[in-house]
Amino acid sequence: MNQKNIMNIKIIKFFTFFSLVFSINYLYSAEGGPCKDYGECDKFKYSLNDMESLQRGASTFLNYCYGCHSLQYSRWGRVAKDLQIPEDIFFDNLIFDKSIKAGDLMTGAMVDEESAQWFGVAPPDLTLVSRVRGDDWLYSYLRTYYEDSSKQYGVNNLVYPGTAMPNVLAALQGNQKLICKNIPILASNGGEKRDDLGNTLTKEKCGFLEVEKGTGTLTKDEFNNVIYDLTNFLVYVGEPAKATRERIGWYVIFYFLIFTALSALLYREYHKDYH
Amino acid sequence: MNSMFGKMFGWFNSRLPIVNTFERHLSKHPVPSKVNFWYLFGALASVVLIIQIVSGIWLIMPYSNTEEQAFSSIEYIMRDVDYGWVIRYMHTTGASMFFAVVYLHMFRGLLYGSYQKPKELVWVFGCAIYLAMMAEGFLGYVLPYGQMSYWGAQVIISLFGAIPYIGESLELWVRGDYYISGITVSRFFALHVVALPLVLIALVFLHLVALHEVGAGNPEGVDIEAHLDEDGVPLDSVPFFPYKVLNALVGIGVFMTVFAIIMFFFPEGGGYFIEMANFEEANPLVTPEHIAPVWYYSPYYAMLRAVPDKLGGLIVMGSAVAILFVVPWLDNSKAASIRYKGVYSKVAIALFGISFLTLGYLGTVGVTEVRKTMSVICTVIYFAFFILMPVYTKYEITKKVPERL
Repeated sequence: MNQKNIMNIKIIKFFTFFSLVFSINYLYSAEGGPCKDYGECDKFKYSLNDMESLQRGASTFLNYCYGCHSLQYSRWGRVAKDLQIPEDIFFDNLIFDKSIKAGDLMTGAMVDEESAQWFGVAPPDLTLVSRVRGDDWLYSYLRTYYEDSSKQYGVNNLVYPGTAMPNVLAALQGNQKLICKNIPILASNGGEKRDDLGNTLTKEKCGFLEVEKGTGTLTKDEFNNVIYDLTNFLVYVGEPAKATRERIGWYVIFYFLIFTALSALLYREYHKDYH
Repeated sequence: MNSMFGKMFGWFNSRLPIVNTFERHLSKHPVPSKVNFWYLFGALASVVLIIQIVSGIWLIMPYSNTEEQAFSSIEYIMRDVDYGWVIRYMHTTGASMFFAVVYLHMFRGLLYGSYQKPKELVWVFGCAIYLAMMAEGFLGYVLPYGQMSYWGAQVIISLFGAIPYIGESLELWVRGDYYISGITVSRFFALHVVALPLVLIALVFLHLVALHEVGAGNPEGVDIEAHLDEDGVPLDSVPFFPYKVLNALVGIGVFMTVFAIIMFFFPEGGGYFIEMANFEEANPLVTPEHIAPVWYYSPYYAMLRAVPDKLGGLIVMGSAVAILFVVPWLDNSKAASIRYKGVYSKVAIALFGISFLTLGYLGTVGVTEVRKTMSVICTVIYFAFFILMPVYTKYEITKKVPERL
């Protein structure tokens, strides 16, 4: 192959790559935010090896959520084992129905037909919710309730507008409201705009979440931690083998890297036969 | 070979062409001595085929093909079956990787003219494999009976309804019910695990036998059969074993590393390999906000949506696959490889590649006016690449193909 030919191919390759990146960027910009009125979801990074977090998450789930939401593909004993909770402690403190055995599925206690009448829809099973909605969505959703008297339960949600679920954790979080704030106007160079006297110019912007002072038993950070643990637990329940998967994965990749290296060395030896 | 084993082997070999077949297709089979990485994807495709068959067999054991249990049996595999998640992710990752390597394998064919005389049949069998794979993949995607299984099947099966006169009866016949139900799942299961794998294996067999009859190609497009040694073996060739095998082994190592990274760390492939909506059980009463096929069908889905009329869309989509079969008879070029073809061919294949990838992206996202226009443009380019091929390959100036590799 001559030089010119190689150059041609390089130009074509560059052209292909460039137009691809350009067109995809252009087209992607038309998508809306995944967390609806909240815009971009808050980022959530799971930590499935943090047993304490998972245990706290399980406790929050069983105390606050399990009354309405089942985890129908998950088994009690598996959760206790994976979360390293001794079975007697688990059964004494977190399982309220004494007829339950370790091998049973966590099928919940509420009858779908009745709950559909109470809430408008039956509370969905949450085993796979983290996989359907995504971790970021869940973590944001559970923290973006606000008071809205026009709704059945007096609350609405930024991430899931019109949600049928009441804010079950309001006692911990407090009364969160949607407020408006005066924020500085930014100039095109990124600095704050000021008037002739040097005062910062502001405009009113709405849609900020703020918890009413003196309500709620937890501080903002403490509440965020509760939601973090709860989301972490739901990520675990969505795929109990996830931590194992990511651990084994490294060994498998290591094996194939060695395999590749050895076969490359062998190939190089044999390649000498004809070059 | 005087031992017991030698005698037994001799007995079999004089009644069954074991040694001959082995030498002809595996050990002594001559392959071009100089190829590049593009020539690895065929071997990789056969590796994935084996992965799919083996993992598939193990998935059948705990899977339940009923409307009530299909979805929960998948979760049972993921949770209660020992290492069930390994088998399942191997199969889902394998499906995507199968298409990835086959797309690259096909593109290699277009780049280096692997369909030109005398390899027309190899190409045609290959296209048939691709078609069978598309059916196989679609049927398999319905089996977990998640939301996207249900609604994806709904969209695809309803396409049959667009065919004039027989459409509605055909739709009903395929589905086996008035709406998608357990009956659809169990028949798709039978087709996915028995009928289509048989077809696939038969086609792969024909693809390989035809290939070994006419010989493998090379990136230079040189006919290695033109210069033979005294034994009739091409001078520019090496025996398949150990040279090609070792070469493939390196490729397989790299490929399996990528496979493992996806399988163990990104099994959902960012929602492109397993769609998020498919973690929700099929619900005939709730349509997902946004129905998108898995990535490997998305170029055709974009074409389908680019045409406002359903029947028209179906025809365009069908033609897009059908036109691949006749490529050997569209190319009038004297050179096989893109390296020696003229500028028209180079521009054409670059535009084709871009439009196919763009269509792939467009098929996965919602429709807007801009995107729709883009889909139309890309669909036109896709077809123009094939339809104009007889013209631009005839009138372009090709370079002289060398005699030897």
